[in-house]
Amino acid sequence: MSLIETIFESTVVAPGETDVLVRMQTELHRAMQKSADQHRWVMVIDLRKCVGCHACTVACVAENKLPPGVVYRPVMTEEIGTYPNVTFNFLPRPCMQCEQSPCTEVCPVNATYHDEEDIVVVDYEQCIGCRACMAACPYGARTYDFGYYYVEQLPVVDRAVVGDKIAAGYEHISQEYGQEWERTGQHESPVGNVRKCHFCLHRIKDGILPACTTTCIGRATYFGDSNDPKSLVSELISKPNVIRLKEELGTDPRVYYIL
Amino acid sequence: MTKKIVYVIGVFSLLFGLWGVYIRLFEGERSANYGSYIGWGLWVAMYLFLAGLAAGAYMLATLDFLFNIPRFKGTGKTMLWSAFITLLAGLASIGMDLGHMERIWKVYLQPSFTSFLALMVWGYTIFLVLILLSLYLAFSHPEKSAIKVVMWVGLVTSILVAGGVGFLLGGNAARLYWHVGLLPVQFPVFAIASGVALMLVIVGWFMPSLKKEQRSNLLWTLAILSVVTSLVKLYFLVSDFTQSLYGGATDNVIAIQSILTGSYWFSFWIVQIALGILVPVIVLVQPKLAKNGFIAGLMGLFLLIGYATARFLIVVPGQVAPMIPGLAEAFHGPKLTFDYTPSLMEWSVTSAVIGFAILGILIGMDFLLGYLERFMEAKK
Repeated sequence: MSLIETIFESTVVAPGETDVLVRMQTELHRAMQKSADQHRWVMVIDLRKCVGCHACTVACVAENKLPPGVVYRPVMTEEIGTYPNVTFNFLPRPCMQCEQSPCTEVCPVNATYHDEEDIVVVDYEQCIGCRACMAACPYGARTYDFGYYYVEQLPVVDRAVVGDKIAAGYEHISQEYGQEWERTGQHESPVGNVRKCHFCLHRIKDGILPACTTTCIGRATYFGDSNDPKSLVSELISKPNVIRLKEELGTDPRVYYIL
Repeated sequence: MTKKIVYVIGVFSLLFGLWGVYIRLFEGERSANYGSYIGWGLWVAMYLFLAGLAAGAYMLATLDFLFNIPRFKGTGKTMLWSAFITLLAGLASIGMDLGHMERIWKVYLQPSFTSFLALMVWGYTIFLVLILLSLYLAFSHPEKSAIKVVMWVGLVTSILVAGGVGFLLGGNAARLYWHVGLLPVQFPVFAIASGVALMLVIVGWFMPSLKKEQRSNLLWTLAILSVVTSLVKLYFLVSDFTQSLYGGATDNVIAIQSILTGSYWFSFWIVQIALGILVPVIVLVQPKLAKNGFIAGLMGLFLLIGYATARFLIVVPGQVAPMIPGLAEAFHGPKLTFDYTPSLMEWSVTSAVIGFAILGILIGMDFLLGYLERFMEAKK
């Protein structure tokens, strides 16, 4: 099956059926009627549908205004076979949002913790930048903000939408954790902090699905409340062809992969 | 003459280091080579080394003040002072590694005690206080039982903090190469070994005031201790490596291959094994050479260089295996790599730390300890 066919098969909606995005959006609204402690947010990634387009990675970078060197959701590529009999497997890797998270346990100042939605977050103003959480994460899901900027040293052209002065304004302010983070210089947080995927918490609270989920061209990423037995994610994770990464470490991840 | 040369080295180390400290403080961490996948580099390794050195120096000071071993008589104050300086140097090294070092107070006022790192910060702070208290009592009331009580507490603390550093790495189940049950056992041995090596340098090069016979006996004792601890360390190393390679777990094999034949082969074979173990052991088993102050001091220096390298080769290779295969290639950007060689700025900061330790120990021995002695005498 060609790439185009795969994408078409995944996204086409039969008459009378609802697109999974619409269904998940409805379910998200339903979940938000409950109190935060009744949610169990999970992500399900169907590896059979992932085409390795990296749209989720790029959407995440754009959504969270991630600087160079910071990534929340890379997609791993595995090449199988030898030429000319070659295929690829793709593995998107957001934060696993472990229930038993080794990263929060090692933080010396409670800067990374489970918030009221039970999402593992980072308090940039609290983080001392020791990187112990990075060492503790078995999934490599944390990266460090070294203070790089995409637009630095770009030429400034008068009356043109290029250059540091124009683009910096866009690049420097993110809305992570529902707060404006003006990121400038080399010393102000989140520079000097560890950063990670937070399931787009700021979007969830506004009733919007995470950026990676809405952007997935193959509808391979699902998101929802697994405490809702009627939700799509509950249906999916109840199947036998579901795994979680490195479960043997006792991390109890909330990201599931369909094989 | 040796001391003058070491003074000059200390001054130049510090001067070269000031450049790196300036860059780190005012321009941030971009010119460091540690990154998001190898997050702990040279500065963390130097912290482990120097904090272990402080614990070891303290342990050796107890041989004078606590156990009254005649051969170690008169060395206690110097070793306590060395413990103080090397601990400060270690804390400076780890302080420079923090992205927000100005927030270190949070570890004291808003700590999370599920974090072993927080426990270690508290542990080393208590240890620092105990060193200072021991120093004070050593000068003011060396004959009273108070110093014995404090030094017993200090001895136990020094073993615990040294072992704790081992736990800091070993408790990390995500890193197979570190996750060895024996690591917290090994680290106090490393601490004793590095303390003995430091004492070889101090007694060999900077303590001609000791009586000739005592000095030569002490050097021989330290030489024997160095040989024994080196061989014990070598046994730990061989058992770790053979067990891991035989077991064949991918992350372990990647880590050990990076040491034996990969990026760090020179550091391992030439610096840690040849310079840091073989040469000192061969020299120090010979009583005539071991009792020669200059040679003993030089071997002590080689041992210290070997031990510092050993710390580096525990910290860094533990991070070289990708947590998920293909992670390095999945997304490209600055510092998203599993290759690590310290940058010039990192070496420079370490140079400042070493320069500070050298000058701190020497100035203390030459001026401060004598001044304190006279001050306390005058007070009595």
